[in-house]
Amino acid sequence: MTADELTSGARELIASAALDDIGDVDDIEWAVRLLAVTPTHEGRDPRLLRAWACRADEFGSRLAPVPSTALVVERDDGLERMLLARYTSRPPTVELYTDTLALAEELVDARGWRAWYPAGSVRAAALAHEAAHAHLHHGPAKAALKQALGHTVLRLGRHRVAGHVAGAEEVAAHAYARTVCGLRRSPLLLTAALRTALPRPGREN
Amino acid sequence: MGVAILLVMAAGVGLMLTRRLPTAFALVLLAVVIAFLAGAPLTGENSVLDTVLQEGAPALAATMIAIILGSWLGKLLDETGIAGTLVRKIVEFGGDRPTVVALGVLAVSALVGTVTGSAPAAMLAGIIGIPAMIAVGVPKVTAAGTVLMGIAVGIPFELPVWQFFSTALELPIPTVRGFMVKLFPFALVAALAFVLVETRRRGTEHAWSLKSLDSSGSSGAKSRSRRAELGDAPWYALLAPAVPLVLALGFELAIIPSLLAGVLYALVTTTRPGAMNKRLLRTLYGGFEVAAPPIVLFVAIGILLAAVKLPGAVDALEPLVKAVSPQNPVLFVLVFTLLVPLCLYRGPLNVFGLGAGIAGVLIATGIYPAAAVLGMTTSYNQVFGVADPTSTQTVWSAQYAGVTPQQVMVRTLPYVWAVALGGLCVTAASHL
Repeated sequence: MTADELTSGARELIASAALDDIGDVDDIEWAVRLLAVTPTHEGRDPRLLRAWACRADEFGSRLAPVPSTALVVERDDGLERMLLARYTSRPPTVELYTDTLALAEELVDARGWRAWYPAGSVRAAALAHEAAHAHLHHGPAKAALKQALGHTVLRLGRHRVAGHVAGAEEVAAHAYARTVCGLRRSPLLLTAALRTALPRPGREN
Repeated sequence: MGVAILLVMAAGVGLMLTRRLPTAFALVLLAVVIAFLAGAPLTGENSVLDTVLQEGAPALAATMIAIILGSWLGKLLDETGIAGTLVRKIVEFGGDRPTVVALGVLAVSALVGTVTGSAPAAMLAGIIGIPAMIAVGVPKVTAAGTVLMGIAVGIPFELPVWQFFSTALELPIPTVRGFMVKLFPFALVAALAFVLVETRRRGTEHAWSLKSLDSSGSSGAKSRSRRAELGDAPWYALLAPAVPLVLALGFELAIIPSLLAGVLYALVTTTRPGAMNKRLLRTLYGGFEVAAPPIVLFVAIGILLAAVKLPGAVDALEPLVKAVSPQNPVLFVLVFTLLVPLCLYRGPLNVFGLGAGIAGVLIATGIYPAAAVLGMTTSYNQVFGVADPTSTQTVWSAQYAGVTPQQVMVRTLPYVWAVALGGLCVTAASHL
């Protein structure tokens, strides 16, 4: 399937009245939904997920801009793999999926979201998102994020062990990308819109 | 006549490889044709109907009961959230370090692998374990391979497998247990090496995936509803998968009571007295569904074993098999290590297929002692259980991780091949 075919399919979906207006869902709610479907959070209290989403979002948006030294590679099989970008640590590489980026830009126009996502901002957001992952992977920021989330898994008297919250890093990376790229909405909204335009599941790797 | 039987066996492999016939059906067909070629009468002593079909079908009955009990316990581990809680705790404690999470999932996979091998074990450990590993940055192929290598660590202590080899090769349980204990260190070292080497080689991976907002499907919905109702399983319930193992290995209790004890422990540590009957019945019936495919296979293997042990078949095959079977220990290790790939893709050395028949021939013709055949077949089983792209656990794990079974085979094969080499060396040193 080519990007053009998918794009025309997306246009049809966008034009159909069956689509709900996902733009009405706020950024924190998208982050809550991401955490809710992340394994290990089954049955968690939605209020706890919201608290974690808020803290991870705040952590990401306060993260100082980080330079990325990773090699950037462009590929065109993102729609097949259902990927927009990917960071691999060995060697540090950011893969940008150009077909997905192109579809995202078209979706922004079709939905009238250009004020939220300026032209070319999706690519910038992808690079920033993966730079945040690289930063969290290699530096002390990961421990700082864990402390910021405040999830206690073990308490022995005065001592407590902070637990890892799966998915929080992803929320923080999206919040970071939104902030440093000057987007008015989270890239998570764009992810949801792309997913709606691509209903067929694909292989990721 | 021996050549004709071997040609029929080769045709059977072809039918299985090309998926023209399901493995179980192909094995039964093979058994009937081999019996006729061996000159067996239709009825009476050493006959097609009475010996091969009637006596062969229930020959592995004890294994089938063990499989049902293992599947029952597996269903309980799933429904009571024991397996899921184990994985969640690992992620919460070690999520910062993907290697630690992978090692934890490996341990859980090994534990559930001792209870119920194959696809049920992969699902028990993998439904939460695979996406949890991917969420902390473990690459997808490594995540799928970790679950499979973990199950392979548990295979030497999988009680239904002990029962299978004991019945199929007519060996006492202590003999099977003794070899499995020797095989276990190889499986463990290979699995640890897989996780440590592969996570180091491949590093971590974080993807901006369009599926990051997708819900996890029906099984996830079921887990969510149960945990919303009951919360995590208590810490002492998490020991349930180890109960049968401790009883069978540590106290040398028989297999079926050991598995029943595991079922009871999982039940009483997680379930209110009023709800016990309902849960026991529901999980037992669910266990039958899980156990159906292996039971069908064991019926077919029993029939095939009965056919290749017919006097006519033994007489026909003995000179041929003897001519190609190395007796020198070094040559034994070399030849059978090189033949390892023949247990993949439903190949002739797959012990849950024609390999069982070949093992039967080797024992019936007296070419190798039964204990040596045990060493050979269990070594191959370690390879088949992880790397065969047609085995259900490999297909499930790979697809659930979002990769192909072939990718998993390529990555895991060197490690499990080394396990087979280790097992064959022990076999040659001990029994040849």
